[in-house]
Amino acid sequence: MIGETLFDRILIRAAGTILALLWIAPLAYAVWAAFHPAAYEARFDLLAPLTLENFYSAWSQAPFSRYFLNTALLVGMILAAQLVLCTLAAFAFARLDFPGKSFLFGLILVQLLVMPDILLVENYKTMRALGLVDTIIAIGLPYFASGFAIFLLRQTFMTVPKELDDAARVEGCSLIGVLWRVYVPLGKPAMLAFGLVSVSHHWNNFLWPLIITNSVETRPLTVGLSIFATTDSGTTWSVINAATLMTSAPLLLGFLLFQRQFVQSFMRAGIK
Amino acid sequence: MQISDIAIQIDRVTRAFDRNRALDEVSVPIRAGEFTVLLGPSGCGKSTLLRLIAGLDTQTDGTILIEGQDMRGTPPGARGLSMVFQSYALFPHLSVRQNILFGLAVRKTSRAVQAERLKRVAEMMGLGPLLDRKPSQLSGGQQQRVALARAVISDRPICLMDEPLSNLDAKLRADMRVELRSIQKQLGLTVVYVTHDQVEAMTMADRIIVMNGGRIEQVGIPEAIYARPETTFTASFIGTPPMNLFPASALFSGPANLTVGIRPEDLHLTDAGPRADLVGVEYLGADRLVAGQINGTPFVLRQPAQSPTPRDRFHIGWSQTAMNAFDATTGKRLHDFDFSSLSPNQKDFDHETA
Repeated sequence: MIGETLFDRILIRAAGTILALLWIAPLAYAVWAAFHPAAYEARFDLLAPLTLENFYSAWSQAPFSRYFLNTALLVGMILAAQLVLCTLAAFAFARLDFPGKSFLFGLILVQLLVMPDILLVENYKTMRALGLVDTIIAIGLPYFASGFAIFLLRQTFMTVPKELDDAARVEGCSLIGVLWRVYVPLGKPAMLAFGLVSVSHHWNNFLWPLIITNSVETRPLTVGLSIFATTDSGTTWSVINAATLMTSAPLLLGFLLFQRQFVQSFMRAGIK
Repeated sequence: MQISDIAIQIDRVTRAFDRNRALDEVSVPIRAGEFTVLLGPSGCGKSTLLRLIAGLDTQTDGTILIEGQDMRGTPPGARGLSMVFQSYALFPHLSVRQNILFGLAVRKTSRAVQAERLKRVAEMMGLGPLLDRKPSQLSGGQQQRVALARAVISDRPICLMDEPLSNLDAKLRADMRVELRSIQKQLGLTVVYVTHDQVEAMTMADRIIVMNGGRIEQVGIPEAIYARPETTFTASFIGTPPMNLFPASALFSGPANLTVGIRPEDLHLTDAGPRADLVGVEYLGADRLVAGQINGTPFVLRQPAQSPTPRDRFHIGWSQTAMNAFDATTGKRLHDFDFSSLSPNQKDFDHETA
């Protein structure tokens, strides 16, 4: 007989609690350090005075506003390009017949298996040839045609009943009309789920932007933060933590606010 | 018949999938304002033909004319027709109102016209209180009405229907048959209706097109299809139970290459005539179906439930006019066959068994 004894219950709850604490610890420390004077960096005192000084100091020491703008532009551009390109490609793979279809789809699946970091050098050469080094477009360009998005949306589109497609065509929709009025609305949960993965991935992406950018005008938050944290000998941990919190705050807040919708759309899209 | 009476002309249309011909040189006119039913078993090509008329598929060969215009290359939306699907094909993300107005919205009809037509159609279909619901909140019968409303609101002269009643329960299906027919009459629609259910075909059709194996077996009014089947396929497909087909030798000492068809209700018990063995009896309330065998050929006899149940061996009789003659090799009806040339089979089993 398999029953949950009191001991089991304590064990499971304890393990869960420990894992959660371990996971939250860095974030908790960042919050602690960011809101207290530098003197309390490594000293825990409940009565330590609270301050916003670290945020002012971080904001004034590096062009974070420009970094925010760059990241927002970058993430928005990548997401928009991915949704447009991959929706069109996925629709073609799901519902049109053309020669070489399965071979081309095979190539796209192969893209899922290749780690992007392997292509760093090759991508750099390409951007150089295009004259795009140190531009925001160059950071995003390699990610526009996402194999994952094409695959995910194709699978979603293939579940749309053929009769809906037929009905829309009889009612006078063109091919693009059918895509826009039938497939896109029915594919929304998958698009939302993908959008989330894409935004968080590119908000946090570091290695490629580090290599391809070298000026304040193009640098995203991640690169800006790392430069801020390493080069300047004068910066203190509390200021670095304040900067870290600032850069990750929009994502954290977004996830907390829309948690339920996110989980639902992930369940509907079938990705975890 | 004038050209203008023909809404859709199918002319030697073939649709091949790889080697396999779903439709094989089919030619048939479909008349304007009539309720035409494409009837046949699964895989006979009836749905394929409907999709070709709709423009959702393209024929391998042949032409389809709608109102005299060659439809090759014309997209479905420009063919002047509407369509009702088996699964209803309602858009799950749109409300009932948006579903009904879908076609008008695609065509950018003015809001005033949309509202006016929606009011009329919603009233006709009794959908008024449901307009703001989503399709998933409706029963099967209500979804069916929305699908019909979407076809009717387009004001197009031709309506194609692909087994629209097959997902409803028996009671609702009977009601919808009457309603569909009255809507068609009221609006003067040319309806092309695909079904494998002969009850639907018999009750609703002005004209039935019986199909089998990618070919047309017979075109005619329901009475003609039932009373004078042109082929043994039609004879054995129409009617529940269908027409009995006997090799002539089972009933007559006549020619070998002849099949004789007699409807179960045209057979009766007699004291003389060919002798049959009883196989089983099925009681249906008003009627009784008697399954028998005559010289190895199975048949069914329908008799009123009040009449006495036959014994293990019985004689069957029928009137001369109830007989249908078919060529045993081709299965085609022999139109001018003279039954008086045949002499009844007088094999007397009584002497063998006594």
